[in-house]
Formats: sequence, structure tokens, C-alpha cells
Amino acid sequence: MTSRRYTQVDVFADRPGAGNPLAVVLNAEGLTDAQMQAIAKWTRLPETTFVFPAVSDDSSYRIRMFSPRREVPFAGHPSVGTAHAVLEAGLATPHDGLLVQDGIAGKLPLRVTGEGAMRTIAVRTPRASVREIASADDPRLKDLLRTLPLGKLPPALMDGGRRWWLAELESETALRSATPPWEAISSLAQSTESMGLCAYARSDDPVYYLAVRAWVGAPAQFEDAASGAANATLAAWLASQNALPGDSGFYRISQGREVGHDAIIELTVDAAGDVWSGGRVCTVVEGALRW
Amino acid sequence: MMPLRYLQLDVFAARPGAGNPLGVVIEGARFDPSQMQAFAAWTNLSETIFLLPSTTPDADYRVRIFTPRQELPFAGHPSVGAAWAALDAGLVAADKTSLVQECAAGLLPVEIQYCDGIRLPHVRAPRARRIGGSELSPDLLDAATRNMRGGVLEHALWDNGPQWWLIELADADAVRTLQPDLPAIAALTEATGAVGLVVHAPDARDGHHLAVRAFCPADNIPEDPVTGSAQASIGARLAAADRLPGHQGIYVGSQGRELGRDGRVTVRIDAEGMVWVGGEVQVAIRGELHW
Repeated sequence: MTSRRYTQVDVFADRPGAGNPLAVVLNAEGLTDAQMQAIAKWTRLPETTFVFPAVSDDSSYRIRMFSPRREVPFAGHPSVGTAHAVLEAGLATPHDGLLVQDGIAGKLPLRVTGEGAMRTIAVRTPRASVREIASADDPRLKDLLRTLPLGKLPPALMDGGRRWWLAELESETALRSATPPWEAISSLAQSTESMGLCAYARSDDPVYYLAVRAWVGAPAQFEDAASGAANATLAAWLASQNALPGDSGFYRISQGREVGHDAIIELTVDAAGDVWSGGRVCTVVEGALRW
Repeated sequence: MMPLRYLQLDVFAARPGAGNPLGVVIEGARFDPSQMQAFAAWTNLSETIFLLPSTTPDADYRVRIFTPRQELPFAGHPSVGAAWAALDAGLVAADKTSLVQECAAGLLPVEIQYCDGIRLPHVRAPRARRIGGSELSPDLLDAATRNMRGGVLEHALWDNGPQWWLIELADADAVRTLQPDLPAIAALTEATGAVGLVVHAPDARDGHHLAVRAFCPADNIPEDPVTGSAQASIGARLAAADRLPGHQGIYVGSQGRELGRDGRVTVRIDAEGMVWVGGEVQVAIRGELHW
């Protein structure tokens, strides 16, 4: 039995408990695929990542990420949280403010800004494309939208590795008070091979421009506390419609309050059209894993 | 401020990953109840416990037990883990073999045995009694057990804090290969106020004596990996029917193999007919907590 460095972090959080939890096994060399899957099931967290030494000069470390059910090619909050854990452990240093993670989805850069408690980390997310723009009276969306008052933009299906339906609601109040129509979300997720519905609304809050709620419909039904990848597809959608909030390609969103969290995610659409998804990370548990 | 000590234990397990996980905050006095609930929600473990100084001279330590949603008065695997952790952290003199745990349900005796240097806590479960049988809900019971090959004992509902439907099956294969009808079990347990349904049969393999599986679909837990209270209820009914396996009132129940675990619960019936459950505890994660 080997003892490995282990940390549990809270991602997109400015205080412990506000964000999305993540387990990180820092020296994962020697673990089999089956062991990694068993650990990820045992931690009961949305994702557990495993860090390996880099195998090429142009990457900082290798990463594999697992949900309790399967290996995940890419997800936003595990990428950001793992970079934080790697930096805290001194296993890699940024070059020109960048780390490069090497994973199943390829090599992806992470931008590190600021220091200490104010440090933010953002990952460049895989390019997302618009699969479909739907009309408000689309029969597939009828059950879904019966209780959700739509805003300006039409609903759309985005593909950024995982697929998400996006729907703008008419106000932040309508969004925050909405009861997710779970049956309709599940059947939409299954019939369109998507995660579910990511609903959003414009906000007047001084800190964030958008309020977001992400409802996963299949295989399980739950509301995500902070979704890095779903928000990245939302940024790509808004950019495609010339509807980005703010004026510099940078904005913050608020997510998770309805499920007891209070995450802030920072989105940047750069000059090349790439979306960076990031925020702050808190270390919650620092120790060793015996497995 | 001194960092908090945190453990993530695996209870009823001969190796990490085989049992039921448990989060343990050693310096629980540094948390108020709302922080305890928030941290237990964040770990997402079936239970997270907080060790506290006892409020009565009759107890050695105090524990508060939280699920992600609520505080529990008592639970089996958290109590076994609490005793183990109190000794490990030095909150209780290392040579004590008879402890009293204070929890919301009252004072609970704990015995510590040592086998090859391994610390094995056993907790006394609340007295179990039979509530009734098929007359409680004949149609729903028939529907939930229709695909099961029954054993000798008649199906019965037992109470030892939580209520469990206890179903003896014909043999170990009938237990191991069972494909439970979860909607039918959910309907039965909801209608009768039971937390779940457990199946059991003698199984004299790998050093255990009984094969057990527990299903709690109404609580969104299709199958529970290792269940102290259900194992204790089965011990009580087998003792009442004079059908105890093992030797001199002690046997080992195996549970969780169908989920990729391998839980082992030692069950002992004492001279007063009380049931004790215990087992091995592994430290999977040991570290510091920042909350």
C-alpha cells in the first residue's frame, strides 16, 4: 500500500464551501485505471483527478479525471482545481503565466494570474460550436419552457465536448426562483444526447453580469454547483450572437446559490475567439491518501 | 490558529476502498452546528462526524453525526469510526477497552478488541424488535419479493432505530445474483415506513458466514455498500430464531461485493441478547482541514 499526496479543494470559491469540490491525487504513478475509478467512486465527489509527471517538454504535468462513474476527457473545474493543487505542492511553475496540462482532450493551457488568496486560474476550454438554434415553440422544448419565461435570445444546443442546451430567462428573479422541470430536462437530455439545460439571466449585481443554473438531466438528475465547461459553452454562444456582457470579453457569473453554494466563475473570450474559464480555488484538505 | 485534523476512514474494511467511507473532524468543537452541516454537505459522504468533549462524566467522548442533509441521532458505521478515531487522536487513553460514546441518541457502550495489533471497535446497537410480517402490506411485499428465492424465515419488518424489511433467501447465490426490483422495493418501504429492504443467506466462504445486501431506493440509495444497523437487525432475528451462524454467538456478515466493495461486519450477540456490530477501520485519507 502506497502513501500519496492528496488534497481536496473547492473550485470557483473565494471561501471554503462556496464552490465545486474536487479531490486531487498528486503523485498517481503506479495506480491502475481500475484503482483510479475505485478511488473516484469512493470519494463521492463530482470529480477526482490524478496527476502524473509530464512526458513532454511542452507540458507541465499529465492529468486524468474521473467522475464516480467513468473517466472524463475534459471538464473545467477539475482542470482549474488541479492546477491550484499542483502549484501549492510546488510540482510545476508557470512559464509566462501559463501552465500546460496534458490530458485525454490534448494539451490545454492554464493562465495563472495574481498571488496567494487573490490568485485566479483559468483554463482554455475546447472550442464549442452551435449545434442547433431552436425556436421558443419547438415541440421538444414545450414541456421544458412551460414554467420558464424566456429572455431575448433563442434556446440553443451547444457542443463543447459535452453538449448543453442553453436558455436565457427573462430575469434573475425568474431564474433564481425557478423549480427545475426535471422530467422534461431528463427526456430532453436523453433524446438529444446532451447533459441537460443551462439556464441563465442578465443581472444588475456589481460583481457578476450573469446568473447561471445548470441542470443535469441524465444519467442522474442534479443541479451543478459550478460548471466550468457549461459556462464556457455559454460564453461561446453569447460571443456567436454578439451578446457578450461587459465590454472587454471578460465577465463574471454567479452559480450555485440555489444548492447551498455561492460560486463565482470568470469567463474570458480572447482575440482568437477562445474561451477561458476560471476563478479562485481554496485548499480544504491537505494530506496523504493510502490506497 | 492550529490546523484542524481530518480523517477519511473506511469502516468495516480489511483494505482501503472495501468498506463504507466516513469523514472525521477531530477538533469538532471548532465548528458550530451550521458549519458542521455545511461541511458534511460539501464532503458529500454518507456521513461526516465531529468529535467533541463529552458533556457528562459518564462518557469518554461525544460525537455528532451528519449526512449531507441532516443530523442523525445514531448510526452504526459512524459510531465504529468515531471510537477508532477518538483512540487514534489520543482523545481517549490508549489502553481503554471499554468506552462510552455520547451521541444525540444517548450514551452508547463501545468495546475495543485487538487482533494481531489491529484495533477493532464494536458498538452495541439499540435493541431490535419485530414489528410485523406480510400482513402489513401483503401486495407490495409480494411485488417487491416476487423475483426472490425465499429461505426458511418468513419476511418480517424489524426496528432497531431504523426499520428494515428482512428477507431471508434460499442460499448465497440467490443473494449475490439478485436483480432487485427497485421501484417495487421503494413502494413497499415508503408504504411501511421502512428505510430499506435487506436480503441475507448463509454464505460460508472467505472467512465470513452470511451474505447480505441492503437496498434503500426510496432514499435515492439503490444499494448501500455496508450497513451496520441492517446487519444488527439480522443478527437479532437470527438469534431469536435460533439460527445464528458462526461460533459462540459471533459471526461475520459480508456485504458490498456486488458494488465493488468487500465490507465485513462482525456481529456478536451477548448474554443479554443485545447485538454488537464492529469491524476493521482503514485510514484512507489523513490530513489537515482548512474551513
